[in-house]
Amino acid sequence: MLDRKSYTLYKFHKQLNQSFQDKRELLECALPALRNLFKLDRAYFFNWQQDRAMLSLRMMCTKEYCMDKQEDISVVNEPAFLKQLIQYGITETTDLSYPAVYALLKWQRPSMELRGGEVHTFMQDRVGVIRLERFRKGRAFTAQELDLIKALAQEISHNLRNTEIDQAKNQRLNVSTALNDLSTIFASSLRLNDGLELILKGVQKYFRFDRVRLYLTDAYGRRIKSILGVDVSGEVTHEDVPHMGEAEIELLKEVFEPSVTYRSHRTVFYIPLKVQRNKVGFLAFDNILSRRAIGYLDYISLQQFASQMALCIDNTRLFERVQELSNYDELTKLPVRRYFNEKFSEELYRAKRFDLNLSLMIMDIDFFKQINDTYGHQIGDWALQEVSKVVRGCLRQTDVPCRFGGDEMVIMLPRTNGEEAKLIAERLQERITAISLPTRFTEGKEVHLSISQGISSFPQDGTNADELLEKADRALYVVKQNGRGHYAVYREVAAQADQAEKK
Amino acid sequence: MILWVLPDAGDRSKEKYADFIARFKKENPSIDVSVRVFTRNILWRRMFTIKHPTYEEEIPDIIQIPHYWTALLVREGVAANLSELDPGLSLTNCLVPLKNHCYQPGTKDIYSYPWWFDVSALHYRPDHLKLVSSNPAKDLSTWNGLLKICAALREKFKDVPGYYPVQNSDWRGSLSMRHALPCVWGKGADLVSADFKNTSVGTRAFKEGLRAYINLALNDYMPILRERGSLGTMASGKASLILSRKQGSFNARRGVQIRTLPVPTTGTSSQAYLSGMNLFINTLSQEKKNALKFIKFCARPENQIAYASMIDAFPAFEDAFERVAFASPVRLQTYSNILASARTLPNITITGTIMEILKRILALCATQIVAGKFSASFLDKQLDGAAKEIQQLLSIYEG
Repeated sequence: MLDRKSYTLYKFHKQLNQSFQDKRELLECALPALRNLFKLDRAYFFNWQQDRAMLSLRMMCTKEYCMDKQEDISVVNEPAFLKQLIQYGITETTDLSYPAVYALLKWQRPSMELRGGEVHTFMQDRVGVIRLERFRKGRAFTAQELDLIKALAQEISHNLRNTEIDQAKNQRLNVSTALNDLSTIFASSLRLNDGLELILKGVQKYFRFDRVRLYLTDAYGRRIKSILGVDVSGEVTHEDVPHMGEAEIELLKEVFEPSVTYRSHRTVFYIPLKVQRNKVGFLAFDNILSRRAIGYLDYISLQQFASQMALCIDNTRLFERVQELSNYDELTKLPVRRYFNEKFSEELYRAKRFDLNLSLMIMDIDFFKQINDTYGHQIGDWALQEVSKVVRGCLRQTDVPCRFGGDEMVIMLPRTNGEEAKLIAERLQERITAISLPTRFTEGKEVHLSISQGISSFPQDGTNADELLEKADRALYVVKQNGRGHYAVYREVAAQADQAEKK
Repeated sequence: MILWVLPDAGDRSKEKYADFIARFKKENPSIDVSVRVFTRNILWRRMFTIKHPTYEEEIPDIIQIPHYWTALLVREGVAANLSELDPGLSLTNCLVPLKNHCYQPGTKDIYSYPWWFDVSALHYRPDHLKLVSSNPAKDLSTWNGLLKICAALREKFKDVPGYYPVQNSDWRGSLSMRHALPCVWGKGADLVSADFKNTSVGTRAFKEGLRAYINLALNDYMPILRERGSLGTMASGKASLILSRKQGSFNARRGVQIRTLPVPTTGTSSQAYLSGMNLFINTLSQEKKNALKFIKFCARPENQIAYASMIDAFPAFEDAFERVAFASPVRLQTYSNILASARTLPNITITGTIMEILKRILALCATQIVAGKFSASFLDKQLDGAAKEIQQLLSIYEG
C-alpha cells in the first residue's frame, strides 16, 4: 500500500504526465493542481534571476484563473531568506502578513553557443520559485504539508526540464523549416532583387523582427552600394546609397569587426555576408521599435543562413556579370548582335500580335575608316565610345541599340512609325555632329563626327527581321551615295526610286 | 470571438470582464466571447507578433490598448480601419482629449475606439494630514511641498512599523512613468517637441523632472520593489498618501476617509496625466462584424457607466461622463480642476517605444536605489543615451 505522500505524488505525477507545448502550459496545469491540493488562495511561479537578485513573476494562479505575467519584482531582498531557500529548498516567508511558502525549483534546459562558427549545445541550470499563499483564512502550513510541497516542487522541476527539452526541439525544428524554406526560395531565383525581397520578407515573418535590411557592399566592404529593406509595415524599400562619409566607415568597421559576438538585450544585430575573403554585404535586423531583445537561437540560425545567403548573392552577381559580358560589347557598352536579335524577335512578335508600329534604324560613322587610318585606332575607339554614349543617352528606355559590327550600329524603336523615327534620327544627328575629335590629335584642326542613318518600319517596309534590316540598309546606302551626314526612310527612298524609274 | 484585454481591475480583472461580457451576451446570445487577460508588457510584445501568427497561436479579434498605441498599430497594418467597416461610426460624442488618439495620424479614419479613461491624482488621509498640516491643499500643491509633508509624516509615524508616507500604487512596487510625467511636464519638458521632430528627454528640464519624482523613493518616502501585498496600505494606516489613477473609492469602501487633490507640480501649475483605453479590431480577424458590435456595445452610455464604475475609471463619451460626474458633487468639484489641466501622450508611432525606454530606465534606477548605489549622474547618463535612441527613432519613424 502507498502512504499518503507517495499516493499524492503519484496522482500529481499522473496529472502532469502529458506533453506540454511550453512552460506556460505546464504551469497552467501544475499551479491549479497545487491550489486544489493544499486549498490555496493563490499560487505564483517566478524565474529567479540570481545575478540581479530578482524574482521575475511569470504566472499567477488564483481560485478562478491563471494569469500570464511577465514583470520583474523583487520580493526577496533579504540574503538570509535566500540562503534558507537554497539550503532547504523550502521556506516560509516572513515578508508577508499571511501564511505563504516559497519552494525552490531547479532544472536544466538545453542551450547553445556559437564557438568558432560551430554550434555547441549544452544544458544550462535554471532556478525558479513557487510561492503558495493562504491569505483568506490565514491557515498556516503544517510540517507534513511543507514536506509534500518540497517533493512536488521536485516533480514540477523534472517536468520543467522535459518540457523545455521538447520546446527547444520544436523551436529548432521551426527555425530549420523556416531556413529551409528561405533557402529554397533563394536557390530557385536567379534574379537577385526578386530573390532578396522574398528572403527579407521571409526573415521578417519567421523571426518576427521589426525591420530587416540588406546592405550590399563592394567586394572590399569599403562602400555600401545599396540597401534593400522591409519595414515594420512589411513594405519593401530599395535605395542606392550615395557615399555616407564617416558614418559609413564606422558602420562597416563595426560590422566586419571579427570579434563581433552576440550580446543579450541588444535590439539591433548585423551579420556580415562574406564568401572566403570577399565581402558581399551585411544583414541588419532590428527590434528597436518593439524593444524586444533578439534571441540567441535566432541570431545563430541567421548567422548560419547568412553564409549560404552570401554564397547565393555572390553566385548571382557572377551570373549577372557573365550575362553582362556576353550580352554587351566591352568597348561601347551597347548590346551585342545576339542579344539584339533576341529582343528584336520578341518585339516584332509583339508588334504583329497587337498591331503595333516598330522601326529599325541602321547607322554608321561617316569616314570611320579614314579616322582610323589618319589618327590611329585609339582615336577610332574613342569616336565609337563617344557616339555610343550619345546613342545610349538619346534613346527611350524601351529602345534597344546594338553594336552590329565595326562602326555599324542598329537601333530598334518599338511603337514608333517612320515619322517618329525621323525625329529620333534628327536628334542623334544633331548631338553626334557636336562631337569633335580632340585637337591634340588633329594638329589643332576642328574635326567633327557625323553619321548616316537608314530607317525601315514595320509593317509598311517589311514583316520579318531580315526584310526590315535589308530595307534599312538600302536606305542607308542611298544616304551614303548622296553625300552622307543625313538620314533616310526606306519608303521615301523607294518612292523616289520608283518615280525616277517611271521618268 | 476572442478579446485580449489588460488587467483593468488587477487580480479581479477576469471576474469584472465576466460580468461585463454577461451583459453583452444577454443582447447577443449567439456570439461567444473568450477573454484573455495580459499584462501590458506581454500585450506590447504581442502587438509585434500578431501580424504573423504561428499555427499554434490564436488570433484575437478585439484588443484593448492604451490610447497612444494607435498610430503604431496603424503603421504596422495590424489595426483594421473602423471607418471602412462602418462608415457611420463617429467620434462626435467622444471626449475631446481622447479623439485624436483614435485616428490614423493626419487622417480622419478611425482605427481604434475609446472605451474608458483615468487620470492621475493625489489621494490623502485627512486624519493623518491634519497632524502635520493645517492646509493640505496648499501644502500639497507643489512637489517640494509634498516632500516636506512626507518628511513631517515620516517623523510623526516613526514608531509605526512598516509605515511609509506614500503608498506605492504600482502592484510590483516599481517606479512608474505615469506618475513621473506630471513632474516632467511641470518643468516644461516633454517626450517629444510639438512638431514631433525632436525629443527633450536628454534636456536639463526633463532630468530635473524625473529626479524630482525619484526623490520620493530615494528619500524612502515611498517603498519600491516590494509587492503591494507585502506592505501596509492607506486603509491599514501604514501610509498617508497615494498617487493613483483610481478615484479613491477603493479605500472609501473600507470606511477610511480619503480626499483627492491634483498631482503636486514641480513648476507653477499642476498637469495631470490622462490615459485612455481604446479597442481595435485585428485585421486578421474573421469576426469583424461581431467585433464591431462589441465595440459599439461598449460605447453605449449605460455600458460605459457600468464598466467604468466596475474598474473605478471614467467613461470616454460625453453623455456617460456627464452622468457620472454630476452624480457626485464632490467628485465633480475635485475632478473638474484635475481634468481641466490633464494632458495625454502624443499619438505617434514611437510613443509606446519611448515609454518602454523610460520604463526600463526607471526600473534600473529602482534597482540602484534598493542597492544603495543610485546617483544623479547615473540617471543623467541613462537619459542622454535614451535621448539619442529616441532621436534616431524619430528620424526613422516620422509621425
